Amino acid sequence: MKPGAFEYVKASSVEEVLAALGRFDGDARILAGGQSLMPLMNMRMLRPAGIIDINGIPDLDTIRLEDGRVHVGALTRYRMLETSPLIQEHLPLVAHAVRRVADRQVRNRGTLGGSLCHSDPAAQMPLCAQTLGAEMVIAGPKGRRKVAAIDFFQGAYTTAVDPLEMLVEIVYPAMPGARVTLAQQTRRHGDFPTISVAAAAIVKDGVWTNWRIGMGGLSDRPLPAASLCAFLEGKPLTEALIAEASQILPDNIDPIDDVRATAEYRISLAPVYISRALTALLKGEGR
Amino acid sequence: MSGTHRIKVTVNGKLYEAEVESRRLLVDFLRHELMLYGTHAGCEQGACGACTVQFDGRAIKSCLMLAIQADGHEITTVEGLAKDGVLHDVQEAFRNAHGLQCGFCTPGFLMVAAALGEEKKVLKGDALRKELAGNLCRCTGYANIVTAVETYLEKVGGAAQ
Repeated sequence: MKPGAFEYVKASSVEEVLAALGRFDGDARILAGGQSLMPLMNMRMLRPAGIIDINGIPDLDTIRLEDGRVHVGALTRYRMLETSPLIQEHLPLVAHAVRRVADRQVRNRGTLGGSLCHSDPAAQMPLCAQTLGAEMVIAGPKGRRKVAAIDFFQGAYTTAVDPLEMLVEIVYPAMPGARVTLAQQTRRHGDFPTISVAAAAIVKDGVWTNWRIGMGGLSDRPLPAASLCAFLEGKPLTEALIAEASQILPDNIDPIDDVRATAEYRISLAPVYISRALTALLKGEGR
Repeated sequence: MSGTHRIKVTVNGKLYEAEVESRRLLVDFLRHELMLYGTHAGCEQGACGACTVQFDGRAIKSCLMLAIQADGHEITTVEGLAKDGVLHDVQEAFRNAHGLQCGFCTPGFLMVAAALGEEKKVLKGDALRKELAGNLCRCTGYANIVTAVETYLEKVGGAAQ
């Protein structure tokens, strides 16, 4: 198996990427870690005329904290997220969730930007971006624009990034000291989950605030659980409260039937996994 | 349309120069052009891990990289483990624990395990199985593979912990 023929362009700056994207007029793909793109090309599900390799662009994989926000370069590899003390301290949800992404080899090579642009509806990094309300910085022919997660994820494998644009940075609100968890059902380690619940909150004097909860597997994109967060905000977390909260599903749920589960089964799992996530937080089992 | 590109890549300490087509996968470059058949092409879609090599010291799947991306980088394949006819510690551990049956998946497991050893990670049981989750053994001989890697990591990393 091998990819169809393509023209290879090695870019050394974002400007070069944009110029090349323009030259191929939309028939090119950006190659970052290649952990989703290369299988698709090997199977000939994708046959772009151009491949634009961004691995040689300097400073596209930096992680920095600025004014309470964590800026992560699009080329940052999962492995760097796993090992970064700054991510551990300020984005504990991402640090916790990234260890559940695929396997060691994929995490050594795959990138945050690649995962978000590929936008598999079941993937962990899009779920965390949606849960935390991240903003995506997109570079294009007309300059840079910022897109909130809620507008970025537009469906299965579909994002706000236009074929002539490139995701360059992801900006997360920092959540230092948050208790976090990721409750997910996977049939095998490293597989994409059937259903997933990511949750983060700040606990002070027994009161739980700043709730951020997102769910995967209930739609063609990760969904924020706004009503659930509002319900939990500012209350002491108890088993009784969790029982009530677990019935509050996100708006706009529209799960699919696929090889992993039926839509009906996914809906039946939702309260179970909300309950497991909140219970893990209560018991301090997440982090 | 795709053209070819001249690359320089160091494989197992030896510098190679070659002309490669854009679409040439790293695994196929190693096997078909450098005649290094130790790296196995299994699923060719990143699921089985048989093609795992080390790219600048990190275990990666060579079916998910283009040969041209190795330009200027260092690759270690299973052929680079044994030195002067003496098995690498990880190979010795696999031999002692009977960590292989048909042997098809072995090069991939060895390269992941060797990378763990170089990081001086001492892992056991479930934690180790998670680190090895990117490799499939269709003989299902996982118990002995895990034992072999545990023994190897203990030997090379024990002092550092």
